[in-house]
Amino acid sequence: MEWLIQHVLEKYNFWVAMLIIIISLTAVIVKENLLKKLIGLSIFQTAMFLWYVSLGDVGRDILTTWGLKTGTPSILWEEAAEKGYIYANPLPNVLMLTGIVVSAATTAVALAIVIRIYQKYGTIEEDEIIEKEMEFEREGGELKNASS
Amino acid sequence: MRPRGMKTLTSFSITIAILLTALSIYVVEDLPAFGDENSPVNKHVKLFSVDADGMAESLNAGVLPTEIKSRIEKMGFNKEENYPTLEEGNYKIEYIEKGTWLGGRLYTDSGWDVLIHEGEIFYNEPQQYYFIKEMNGNLTVYRYNWPVRVMERTEEETAIINAVGSGLADYRGYDTMGEETVILTGAIGVILLLRRRGRL
Amino acid sequence: MTPERKVYKRDVIIEVTAKLMSPLILLFGLYVMIGTGGTGGGFQGGTILATGFILYITVFGSEKGREKVPESVNAFFKSFGLFLYNGAGWICILFSLAAAQWLNMPAFWPVTDFVGIAGARSFMVAYMISVGIGLTVMASFVSQYFDLAWKEDDEMEGDEG
Repeated sequence: MEWLIQHVLEKYNFWVAMLIIIISLTAVIVKENLLKKLIGLSIFQTAMFLWYVSLGDVGRDILTTWGLKTGTPSILWEEAAEKGYIYANPLPNVLMLTGIVVSAATTAVALAIVIRIYQKYGTIEEDEIIEKEMEFEREGGELKNASS
Repeated sequence: MRPRGMKTLTSFSITIAILLTALSIYVVEDLPAFGDENSPVNKHVKLFSVDADGMAESLNAGVLPTEIKSRIEKMGFNKEENYPTLEEGNYKIEYIEKGTWLGGRLYTDSGWDVLIHEGEIFYNEPQQYYFIKEMNGNLTVYRYNWPVRVMERTEEETAIINAVGSGLADYRGYDTMGEETVILTGAIGVILLLRRRGRL
Repeated sequence: MTPERKVYKRDVIIEVTAKLMSPLILLFGLYVMIGTGGTGGGFQGGTILATGFILYITVFGSEKGREKVPESVNAFFKSFGLFLYNGAGWICILFSLAAAQWLNMPAFWPVTDFVGIAGARSFMVAYMISVGIGLTVMASFVSQYFDLAWKEDDEMEGDEG
C-alpha cells in the first residue's frame, strides 16, 4: 500500500500526460489520412507542454490534506506575505512559451503542404497517392489529372 | 478484413511502442512528487553532508571552514570552469530563522545562507549560492537553483512585477529575439508555397 | 472535383454581431499586452489582436476582408515589429562587444538619468519588446489565414506552372 501511494498516486500528473502522448503517437503512425496525422501531431506537442509545466506547481499536499493548498501565479504583490501564499515556479512557463510558438508555425506550414498535395494528386489518402506515384514511374509519362 | 483507413500494425511498430512505455516507466521513478516545495526543480539541490566537529562556531563567526570549501571546489565549482570562487572577503554568511518571509517565499528550515559578491557591472549586491543546514550532528550543503534568484531580485533590478515576463524578456532576452524570427519565417514559408501567379 | 457554387444567404444576426464585437476584441487585446503591470506579454496580446481580425474575415469573406487589411499594411507591420526588437538587441550586442549575458542596453541610454537603471529596463521591456512581438505575431497570423482560406475558382483547368 505504501509502495502504491508513493509511486503512483503522488505522481499522477506524469501518468496522465504519458497516456495522452502514447495515444496521439499511435494516431500519427496508424492513420492514413494526412489531415488526421496532423491533428495527432498537434495533440502530441500539447501533451509535452503539459508534462513540463506541471513540474512547477508548488504547495499541493495529497496525503495529509486533499489538495487544499496551491501556488498562486508568480506576479509579486504585497498582500501575499500576510495571507501566507506561496508562489509557483516561473521557470517552466518561460521555457515552454518558445515551444508553443514553434508548434503553431509548424502546423501552418504543414497545412500549406497538404493543400499543394491535394492540388497535384487530387486526393489526400496515403495509399492512393502511393499508387499514383508507382504508375507515374512505370509509364514514364505525365500524370493524367495534372493541374499544378 | 481491417477497417478502411488504417494500416496493419507490423511487429516493428509494436516493439517500438512497448519499448517507449518501459522507458517512460523507468524515467517517472526518479522524478519528484507533484507539488513538492523542496525539490531540485523549485528550490535547491543536495550536494553532500559532513560531520559537524565544531564547525558551527566558525560559521557563526563568518568564516567558511576549509573542509567544506575544498569539497565544493573538488566537485567542479572552481575557477577553471568560470564559477565564482570562495576567497577571503568575497563572501558573507547569514543565519536565517525558520518561518521568515524573505524574497517571496517562506523558509521552512533554519540554516546559514552563503552569499557571494560577484563584482559584475550591473549586479552590485551579493547573490545567494549555498545553504547549509544542521541536523543530527551532520552538516548538509545545498546549492540554490535559478528560479530562487529571479523571484527574489526581480522587483529591485527591473521594476517588473511579472516574474514570467521578466524572465522571458529581460533575463532571457536573446532567446525571445530568435523566437520572433521563427514566426516571420513561418509566414514567409506559407506565402512561398501558396501564391503562384502574383495574385492576392 | 469542382463542386457547383453554392449561393450564400446573408444573415442579419451574424453580421451585426461581428461588426459590433470586432473592435471590442481589439481593445481587450491591447489591454492584455500593455495593461496594468503588463500582465500578459507580447505573445498572448498579439494572438488576441489577430483573433479580432479573423472574426471579421470569416463572416464577410476574403474580398471584403482584403479591403480592411490590404497587402501593404500587412507587410509593414510584419517587418516593423521585427525591426524594433532586433534593432535593440543587436545594438546591445555591439555595445558590449559580444560578451553579454542579458540585455544591458539601458546602462548606455540617456533615459537612465531620469529614472534610474531599474526604470529604464522596465521601460524597454514594456514598450519596445512587447509591442514589437505583438505586432509581428498579429500580422503573421492574419496573413497565414488569408493564404490558407483563399478559394480559387478557375484553378483546375490544366495550367502549367
